[in-house]
Amino acid sequence: MDESRKIIEFKGIARSFDGQMVLKGVSLDIYDNEFVTLLGPSGCGKTTLLRILGGFLTPGEGRVWFKGEDITALPPYKRDINTVFQKYALFPHMDVYDNVAFGLKIKKQPKDVIAQKVMRMLRLVNLESCAHRSVNELSGGQQQRIAIARALVNEPSVLLLDEPLSALDLKLRKEMQLELKRIQSEVGIAFIFVTHDQEEALTMSDRIVVMRDGEIQQVGTPEEIYNRPVSRFVAGFIGETNIIEGAMAAEDTVRFEDKNFPCTQRGFEAGRPVDVVIRPEDLHIVRREDGMLKGVVREQVFKGVYYDTVVETRLGTSITVKMHVSEDKPVVNNEAGEMISANNFFLDASDVDELDDPRVVALASAEAWDAATGERVSIKSVEYDIKKAAGAYKVTFSTAEDTSITVEAVVREENRAVSTVFREEIYAMDFFVKTDDILDSMALDTDLRTWANASAWSLTDGAEVAVTEVRYDFDADNIVPGVYDVTFSTLGYRYRVSTTLCLPEETEVGLSFDPEDIHLMAKEGGG
Amino acid sequence: MKRFTAMSCPYIAWIAVMIGVPMILIVFYAFTVEGNDVATVRFSLSNFVRFVTDATFLQVLGLSIYIALLTTVICVVLGYPVAYVISRAPGRHNMILILLITMPTWINMLVRTYAWMGILQSGGVLSTILGWFGLEDVTLLYTDFAVVLGMVYNFIPFMILQIHTSLAKMDGSLAEAAGDLGANAVQTFLRVTLPLSLPGIISGITLVFLPAVSSFFIPKLLGGGQYVLVGNIIENQFLTAGDWNFGSAISLIMAVIIMISMYLTRRAERRVSADRG
Repeated sequence: MDESRKIIEFKGIARSFDGQMVLKGVSLDIYDNEFVTLLGPSGCGKTTLLRILGGFLTPGEGRVWFKGEDITALPPYKRDINTVFQKYALFPHMDVYDNVAFGLKIKKQPKDVIAQKVMRMLRLVNLESCAHRSVNELSGGQQQRIAIARALVNEPSVLLLDEPLSALDLKLRKEMQLELKRIQSEVGIAFIFVTHDQEEALTMSDRIVVMRDGEIQQVGTPEEIYNRPVSRFVAGFIGETNIIEGAMAAEDTVRFEDKNFPCTQRGFEAGRPVDVVIRPEDLHIVRREDGMLKGVVREQVFKGVYYDTVVETRLGTSITVKMHVSEDKPVVNNEAGEMISANNFFLDASDVDELDDPRVVALASAEAWDAATGERVSIKSVEYDIKKAAGAYKVTFSTAEDTSITVEAVVREENRAVSTVFREEIYAMDFFVKTDDILDSMALDTDLRTWANASAWSLTDGAEVAVTEVRYDFDADNIVPGVYDVTFSTLGYRYRVSTTLCLPEETEVGLSFDPEDIHLMAKEGGG
Repeated sequence: MKRFTAMSCPYIAWIAVMIGVPMILIVFYAFTVEGNDVATVRFSLSNFVRFVTDATFLQVLGLSIYIALLTTVICVVLGYPVAYVISRAPGRHNMILILLITMPTWINMLVRTYAWMGILQSGGVLSTILGWFGLEDVTLLYTDFAVVLGMVYNFIPFMILQIHTSLAKMDGSLAEAAGDLGANAVQTFLRVTLPLSLPGIISGITLVFLPAVSSFFIPKLLGGGQYVLVGNIIENQFLTAGDWNFGSAISLIMAVIIMISMYLTRRAERRVSADRG
């Protein structure tokens, strides 16, 4: 952009609160007559940056330049910048007219000039008739307009707006978005607008600055930000989207889901891992045999114009373990009026070294309780002599009243079951339970995951992957002793598709997309 | 709802006996002269006539109002900056400062006033210190100064707390907005902060003026035996002179003055809050 139109320059702004860095060296140029939005989740530093520009905060490091002048140390009242505050901050002891006239009266302008300017501003925001009403009688939307008029009447070069629409309801917010855009183009000055609402940002802005954790992620027009996000964060923040891990097969071909797809975007050399972004509206549902990807409809939610549809193209990583169900009943100690129960359990030889009493109690799900009241009784002693070699070992739990139970710990050399597909690993182990455990379970899927110690993680970065699916074919309400298969799996590849077709769940479909709708991003974390 | 009404009965009875009956008795005594019995009641306005026609009593009334007003003004002037500083202090300091302001009130007012006697008397702490600067033989105790000092000392916490409350609940962004619109610190204070804290000042005035105008032990202890304010006259009529009728009449006059001043401050307060809708 034209250097001569540059009006504000942030140079390496850093700021911390209580030792926590809120801004980490932000540099940004803002030009005359543009509508710039600072967009980001709460705590990203956008409001702090705005307050530094308004003069309410001083940066710890860096300088703020305004029209070729360093204003870093200038107090707010000496800056040619005005602010619309989040909760408007209208003066409650003045009427609408006096609120708007405040800045002009401070500057000691002649009365007739003030009257002229105030009325012109009230006309601009369509509230001429309210001049002598009390500000507390006004609706939220009207207060909002008065706050804008009060700021603009001073004819600033820049107007700052700190989440000004967040207190309004949805309909009013939409109206005010258009209204603000109209006012901005009418007065022709730069507006700097802070919001966490990506839709608001897309609607109003000439340029959007996406921020996260005190840093700028991307600066660009709404179209650029939406269609060509630079990172997973920006892509996810700016709207629902599909992000798939892939790698470049050639300069013009990207590989994901074990298939090669042509793409038009350039700039990544062959072999480079990338994140592939395809917007839901760019995916088309076609017949299975015509699909570039094949999958199953999992879920459809009607959104008015279209159905938000989830298509799963690949099952997640899965593992099947054996569940040993017994009908063992708790041991009863009539003298003490206590009951105790515990299960046999499997154990990896490599874990034997880490055993201690609480861990053994947890593994065996050992618990004791008062037979009459059902109140829990603590387990006072745990006796075991588990060796690192494979075999079955006796473990005895007992309470202070000598109520005791003995179970077996089965040590195996390698009890792990690992399944590796698509750079994901899942782990679970065989386990023992009693029929009562299953009948009493309030959330069986969660309990099964806990009993089998099921977990999964990414082989790329070690991050934990949720084990979302638990499948079994026993009848949980009428369980009988025996050995059952339980399968755990992670979520497969799922695509969000916006379609006007209504499709029942489990429909087999194909997905197609155009090469120019594939957007590529460098993998985060320096990949 | 019925049951709640029934539950309030004991309180109503209590209020009737402990507040209503004495009030009626005061009015009764004020409008009668001595020598009543069950059979004969002699109504008279002579108590009031005696008060308004005796220049001494009117002087005392004038002095009482003057001392109370002076106390109130000093409390506002000294209390406002303190309240302002407290309300601008960060959270934890704020708590400590409030505690420091309220802590003296945990000790009996009488005890604290006696302490002032010790400080102010000749040969006391203050006169000794003044002596070092060549100001010997300055009489401190038993002067207007001592009485006003005692009153300001005792009543200023109420003023500070009232003003602090109104400043603390003020939205901080209002002062920021004033600065944003071009007002410097002084202009911001005069045009935004001060007007918005007026309700606090007004209720602070009420809380200081009322006890100050009717106080009797502060003038007695710090003003000395010959220092007389309305509160002392009333006390004398009841305890020394034994003229309950005249004492009641003066009490009634004070009650009317207090009611009028409360009405006026109420109206001022309502005007201020009406300005903001």
